[in-house]
Amino acid sequence: MAESRDDFIIAIRSAFLKKSTKQKFSLLTLVFFSIVIIVLSSFNFKVINVTKSIIKEVVYRSSFIVSVPENLIKSSYYNVNEYTNYYKEYKLTKEELDQLKSENISTKIIRIENDELKSLIDGYTTTSNKILAKVIVDHESPFLRSIIINKGSKEKIKIGTNIYDRSYLVGRVIEVNYTNSRVLLLTDLNSNIPVSITPGNVQAIVVGDGDKKGEIRYIKNDLINKIDDKGIAYTSGTGSIFKSGIPVGTVDLKDESEKILINFYSDFTQLKYVFAEINELAPTSVETKENDQTESSSNTEQIKLDLISDELQILEESNNKFLEENKELNNLTNELKKQIEILKKENYFQKNAIQQHNLDQEELEFLRLNLIYSSKCQSKKLFSTGFKVGTPEYKECIMQKGKISD
Amino acid sequence: MIRFQKKNLLYKIYTWFPILALFISVFNEFDLNYLNIDYFSFNFPFILIFYFSLKEYQRFDYFLVFLAGLVNDTVVGLPLGLSSLSYILICIFATYLRNITISPNLIKDWFYFLFIISLINSINYSVLFLFFSYELDITFFIINNFFTFIFYIIFSVFFKRYLKSLDD
Repeated sequence: MAESRDDFIIAIRSAFLKKSTKQKFSLLTLVFFSIVIIVLSSFNFKVINVTKSIIKEVVYRSSFIVSVPENLIKSSYYNVNEYTNYYKEYKLTKEELDQLKSENISTKIIRIENDELKSLIDGYTTTSNKILAKVIVDHESPFLRSIIINKGSKEKIKIGTNIYDRSYLVGRVIEVNYTNSRVLLLTDLNSNIPVSITPGNVQAIVVGDGDKKGEIRYIKNDLINKIDDKGIAYTSGTGSIFKSGIPVGTVDLKDESEKILINFYSDFTQLKYVFAEINELAPTSVETKENDQTESSSNTEQIKLDLISDELQILEESNNKFLEENKELNNLTNELKKQIEILKKENYFQKNAIQQHNLDQEELEFLRLNLIYSSKCQSKKLFSTGFKVGTPEYKECIMQKGKISD
Repeated sequence: MIRFQKKNLLYKIYTWFPILALFISVFNEFDLNYLNIDYFSFNFPFILIFYFSLKEYQRFDYFLVFLAGLVNDTVVGLPLGLSSLSYILICIFATYLRNITISPNLIKDWFYFLFIISLINSINYSVLFLFFSYELDITFFIINNFFTFIFYIIFSVFFKRYLKSLDD
């Protein structure tokens, strides 16, 4: 018994402490190092942060270079997939484009109205400047969904900066280094997005499912029925984590597990370039007025004039569109009128034909009866009981089959 | 079969293959995730480290394994030092198994490997969940554990050939 315990201790000691000739450190030393690093990295000291930042800069750059062959294979795989679906996608895109063109004008009007109202409510306007960033590391870890972009504090990126793929929300920055940053994607389990869902204006929180979709959580039970399939989810701006009004995805109620899922607009596996939105607060016309009355008034006037000219331009565009539509409708009305006229004429001819046909039928019947009952209805000189041939009384007598009415 | 002239540069690189493969895999997060197979993932570094520690391959420097762990943490976004600790623990367990084993058996090693990776993944999950408040899906860990276990036997065949080619 004691012998086997000794063997166990020897094996453990050997595993932890024995250093073979080529090894620089014993395993126990390295375990100790690892624990020290874990503990130190959880502290928020400047020296540690700078060291971490340097390590990350080096590793991200190296990872980008090392990933080149793998990325090449990946992109070829996606390219082949894309080419197979090229024509189908082209047709769908064309249809979508037509629809979007028609919606664009009304969106412009709404955006301008929205800006005006926001500036009135908040007292300031945000001037956003979207900068293009390249995704340098995207390894789709099974546990954490994040990407590394090549823009950092040098380009004024901060923790919480919203990241977009075109105009769709992709995630937010959770770690900033000097020339790069880590973005937590919306699909990550740690990602919580306050959203509004239309129609119904239902407020909810979308949490990433760790895979490709999001799940709607933290919603009042009585509001669940208000949510429609294919409803649109956009950021509500609650908690100031994300800017309000950014499209996130569409509701998917077809899930078998009775979860309410969100299909994100953007495909996070295909991100090559993204936009980082750098927001800066600018005082509104009202605040500026207090500081510099003359300058601000001229600025306000200019802004108003710009807005009005924009509105005017949009109104003109919509007016032209309406005029065109009106013209088309007029043409259509004229054509319809012509068709009605033709139909009326046809109707008249048909009516006449029917009438004539009825008369002919009546005449035929008279002639048939005349052959049978003419002797009864004709007038005789001696006994004047009948009528003179050709008179209406004679015809009536024939039609009544020889009966003479009083 | 390709034969290298000893002391040739290419041969030297070839002898460093395990460490090179380890670094390439941690830089790339090599787990075939882009195939978009639901839940499919495996931990290649675990397989590699366990196998070469078990075989006491001389070029397999533990300090470099430790550095690979740091790189992995940075790339994946885990707290710095966690993967290093996992990798070093694998080395320790593999060394312990080597010390107590007189006649090696692949199947026994395989099931011992399952025990080790389950233990280490449990430690990782607990540390991340309890100390760093990470929201994690345990299903991913279980499936990753399972595939890593399955793939061990496949990779061990290749690694065995590799070691044999060096002996020749």
